[in-house]
Amino acid sequence: MNPSAESVTIALASIPNAGKTTLFNRLTGSAQTTGNWPGVSIEQKSGIFPLGEYSIALIDLPGAYALSPVTEEEQVVRDYFLGSPPDIILNVLDARNLHRGLGLTLQMALSGLPMVVAVNMMDETRRQGITLDLKALAQHLGVPVIEISAKTGEGLPDLKEALYEVIKHPEKTRIPHISCPPLLEKAFLQISEAIDQSNIDTRLDHSFLAMRLLETKNQVELTGNEKVAALTRKWQSRLKQSLHTSIPVACAGCRFNAARGLTMEVLGEQPIIEDKLSQRLDHIFLHRFLGLPIFVLLMFLLFQGVYGLGAPLQETLSVAFDRGGSWLSSQTMILSLSAWLQSFLFDGVWQGMAVVTSFLPIIALFFLFMSLIEDSGYIARVAFLMDRLMHKLGLDGKAFISILLGYGCNVPAVMGTRILSSSYSRILTMLLIPFTLCTARLQIFVFLTAIFFTPAIAPWIIISLYGCSFAAVILTGLVLKLFRIGGNPEPFIMEIPPYRLPTLRSVTLRTWYEMKDFLSRAATLIMAGVLIVWLLSHMPADVPPASTATWAGQLGQMLAQIFQPLGIDWQEIVALLFGFIAKEIVVGSLAVIYGGSDLAGQMNSHITPLQSISFMLFCLLYTPCIATIAAIWSESRSIRITLLSLVFGLGIAWITSFVFYQSGLLLGFH
Amino acid sequence: MRNKMTTAQHIPVSALQPQSECIIRSLGHDEKTAQRLAQMGILPGTHLRIIRVAPLGGTIEVTSGQGQSFALRQQDVAAMVCDPISMPLTSELVITGQTYRVRVLLGGKTFLKRMEQKGLREGALVQIQQTGVKHIPVYIVDMDKQIELGKGEAEKIIVEVISHESFS
Repeated sequence: MNPSAESVTIALASIPNAGKTTLFNRLTGSAQTTGNWPGVSIEQKSGIFPLGEYSIALIDLPGAYALSPVTEEEQVVRDYFLGSPPDIILNVLDARNLHRGLGLTLQMALSGLPMVVAVNMMDETRRQGITLDLKALAQHLGVPVIEISAKTGEGLPDLKEALYEVIKHPEKTRIPHISCPPLLEKAFLQISEAIDQSNIDTRLDHSFLAMRLLETKNQVELTGNEKVAALTRKWQSRLKQSLHTSIPVACAGCRFNAARGLTMEVLGEQPIIEDKLSQRLDHIFLHRFLGLPIFVLLMFLLFQGVYGLGAPLQETLSVAFDRGGSWLSSQTMILSLSAWLQSFLFDGVWQGMAVVTSFLPIIALFFLFMSLIEDSGYIARVAFLMDRLMHKLGLDGKAFISILLGYGCNVPAVMGTRILSSSYSRILTMLLIPFTLCTARLQIFVFLTAIFFTPAIAPWIIISLYGCSFAAVILTGLVLKLFRIGGNPEPFIMEIPPYRLPTLRSVTLRTWYEMKDFLSRAATLIMAGVLIVWLLSHMPADVPPASTATWAGQLGQMLAQIFQPLGIDWQEIVALLFGFIAKEIVVGSLAVIYGGSDLAGQMNSHITPLQSISFMLFCLLYTPCIATIAAIWSESRSIRITLLSLVFGLGIAWITSFVFYQSGLLLGFH
Repeated sequence: MRNKMTTAQHIPVSALQPQSECIIRSLGHDEKTAQRLAQMGILPGTHLRIIRVAPLGGTIEVTSGQGQSFALRQQDVAAMVCDPISMPLTSELVITGQTYRVRVLLGGKTFLKRMEQKGLREGALVQIQQTGVKHIPVYIVDMDKQIELGKGEAEKIIVEVISHESFS
């Protein structure tokens, strides 16, 4: 790319489910960067692509239904438009249903910024034998309208050409007029006149700015002009008295009246497109009696698909890492290093790499299946089916999938929370997932119950632990909902989109991006965590690893006071510390700490069954592992939420184990 | 009380059974929910059809006159007020003694044939004489004929309100 090329910012904006992300991927290819919008846990994606002599910075705005914010995503979009208006707006409309997107399109057309409208999914409407009069649409909106299919790439050259033309010849945009109740129009006019006379410097149309100001309470913050703010507030109270509805609802009414007329004109005499296939499929998938069994079956297949296929792959990878490790350690160059350095390389760095890699197969499979569920449109059906249940926990129905998958592994489950529609549900679900009993924890429980209990009792202990996990998820959900942690819930009104056949391209692309994302963001934190634990258990250098004399051992003894009421000794505390790297190595670390050949016998003589259950309860509820924490951090983009999850887990684990152990003692068990 | 209501009654959307249709009059008092609905294109004057209730209840699917499907929660639809347009013959909203027009018969060919034989086709004017009975007595006004329908049959017959108010 020519570095001296003039940079032009284009904002990609549309309502959810119009194919915005597919178009974004088409235009930018792999030249994407992700960050987050200031102050919120919402992902900001941007990409670069060349267009003639220009270098285009394409900003993917979160899906929004309007610039009058209800959700946090819409707030981000609104603030972006007011704070740093893009050079050009690229709006995406769904050809199958223009009406739903036109509300936002009309609102953006009023901004006075140059705009190009891409009507997506033209291939599907054509297949249904519908032709759209897009010329009429372009005339009414006063902007170029291009038909495309982001899925097949059709029409993209035309779109790029249209964008190029707009950059090259930035004529003053003709702003469409939308008729509103006279009083509202008068308000817009007076406020925009006040803006004309003020020193407010903006590229936005002043009428548009007036509308935005009328919708908020913090006008001064948005404009910095006290006079305009005062006038707006005066109009707000006047409009409140005379309008029957709130200002945003009244304005939406005006926009959709225009949108309805426009849709009719574009469709002509053709009927509104009805998706018969979706109706027929929903008749089965959302059936009163069949809907839930089919859902359960699909979830079973999903779980099996991710973990049934993923576990053997993980196993193979870990064997490969072990072999690679032992091959490397037998090399003369390595053997010449000091024992301490060797341990650092193999138990620290190599181990860290093994932990990171072990997650790749399940993350890949998880996102492969997830994209299928999401792209096909079934995810909205899941939300519909499970809404009643999950609503009680203050969550939306989609969260069910994330929590369910947590029972396999917490890491992809936390990453999967990004399918949830509001930041509120995302945070809440992220905080609940660590209480799900993942398969790594199950391994510890299977091992320990086999040592301490007869084969007849052991399974019941494990079933009870599952019960505890369910209870912890539900109770925590209720508590979090009560205390409004994670913000305020947003109204649940979900569109149920038509079913679509996912494309191989979009599914593999998505999986690829997610894996790259995991490696670039979570992996570093996992690596750091592994190295810290290694240091703790291997420092000072002259004592045997994981012994009482190491930092970890000393830490264990220091914490022994706190864990004494739970019946947990320092040896187990050190194992819990190791468990922070990955729950899989708790058992192995116990073997190292006890340092003998007969781990089962030693543990049996050292720990009572009551203590073992207390230990397992603690294992179940305390902070899952460094990888989950890394995932929570990279998903929430908030240190507060990450710390909250840590502290919350430890607190609940301590209290539960304490209550259990002490009441066990009181009841005469030991 | 119900019998005293006129056909142009305003009822909450939640009172409608699946397959009923209505025109929205107001979006309810919760400002955030109303704004969300409005921005998704559900506004006073929007034509809604109730599609189904979720298997676990609590959530319903509706489609708007513009062909969009939405999932809405019971508490939100309970606050939305509408004018009913059409409903199944079994609906509690059907008032005894009032004349309705058969809007559509939902069912296969055999069902249509059976109804045809009884004199019921789309466009027929019907009255219900009694509710809450096993065999629902239906009076076909334009044929001056009395028939009986099973509950399963009546569920598939969607009737529309004949109102003096005109709906656009």
